[in-house]
Amino acid sequence: MDISEVKARAGPREFSPADDMPEEYRKAATRMIQFHANSEVMGGYLDKEFTRLAPSLDRKLACTAKCQDEIGHAQLLYRAAETLGVKTRDEMLDELTAGEGKFLNCFHYPVDSWYEAPMIDFFVDGGAMRRQATLKSTSWEPYAHAMDKVCFEEGFHVKHGEDILRELMRSSKKNQERTQEVFEKWWPRILQFFGPTNDESVHNDFSQEVGLKTATNDELRNSFLNMYIPKAEKYGLEIPEYPRIYERDDGTMAVREDDLDWDEFWTIAKNDYPGSREQIGSRRERQEAVEWVRSAMDDWEAGSGTAGVAD
Amino acid sequence: MIWEVFRQEKPGDYHKHCGNVHAPDREMAKLFAQIQHGRRMQTKSLWVVPQEEIGEVDDEDTEFGGTTDKAYRWAMTYNNIDASFQKEVAESEEDQREAAEAAEADR
Repeated sequence: MDISEVKARAGPREFSPADDMPEEYRKAATRMIQFHANSEVMGGYLDKEFTRLAPSLDRKLACTAKCQDEIGHAQLLYRAAETLGVKTRDEMLDELTAGEGKFLNCFHYPVDSWYEAPMIDFFVDGGAMRRQATLKSTSWEPYAHAMDKVCFEEGFHVKHGEDILRELMRSSKKNQERTQEVFEKWWPRILQFFGPTNDESVHNDFSQEVGLKTATNDELRNSFLNMYIPKAEKYGLEIPEYPRIYERDDGTMAVREDDLDWDEFWTIAKNDYPGSREQIGSRRERQEAVEWVRSAMDDWEAGSGTAGVAD
Repeated sequence: MIWEVFRQEKPGDYHKHCGNVHAPDREMAKLFAQIQHGRRMQTKSLWVVPQEEIGEVDDEDTEFGGTTDKAYRWAMTYNNIDASFQKEVAESEEDQREAAEAAEADR
């Protein structure tokens, strides 16, 4: 299939491994799904800090369940990426360890307090779910199938995240102030989660033309603002004055992008931020600590001789 | 040799198990699967898999979902929160409720 045919046919779940896809499509899809899978891994690692910080046993249990879900999503997504025949799962995981694999900006900032839990588990996850819901209609069928299961599970994450925010904002004055402080630190990062406006984003056009991506950064951020600003206000959080949020002529919401720190964003995009190195490095150390588990499983598989399929 | 057959009705759908065929090799299995399982029912694609290659675990071997209370991992638990503000959160909760009720009814 050539690119013009791909563009003509592009639609929800249109292409599968049975189709002969051009290299440009397979590379673009791999880049996108690998980024998504890496983000699930790095989000899971970030999130596991909250198990330790959680103030009650119920919260600890929910946090561990959420980490388990995120790592499971990564597994599904690496499998979906592998079906494109560009990179193997091992190659993608090695790239992540080596600091070459890219992932979402919000997971480059180490966390150290429970007040940060709702920032990740409610706002970031809610934004991610907005995006993931649109990816159920992506043109690469294995990717859409992964999204079915991911979206099924995410409702618990977002509601649990909101429940943490509700609890904090209905407790002591001190807790409310600390939550507001942390919110102000996270709010610009959350707005950048959706990436720069469409005309500045490097891979947008092609991904949309071939149906990999079905909504623009701007549409997603706009719908996120419409849903989440009222939520923040409902619990008594104040939206910081900067970055400025304004209403466009058509009534939709937007952010003044000049108010955001894009130098930091692009440094993060290259994994060059101090937090990037810390997060990638701490994951690598944990990977090395349990290397013996993976080796034992590989040895077992190699020795069992039952992996092949009879023909 | 028995081959299990999975049929996909429309592009983008899942391949769902629909039966099996007797065939001496993979090529014949694909041919028989077309005749037995793809002739009347709407079919976009068929998979054939050697039955002996399928591993199974059932509810006599294990307790699916574990035996302890795992309410904390269901969206319905957090009922101070109204999910209706975001379509996909509400849908996820509804799907989870249905899944939990079906699993409960089965016990």
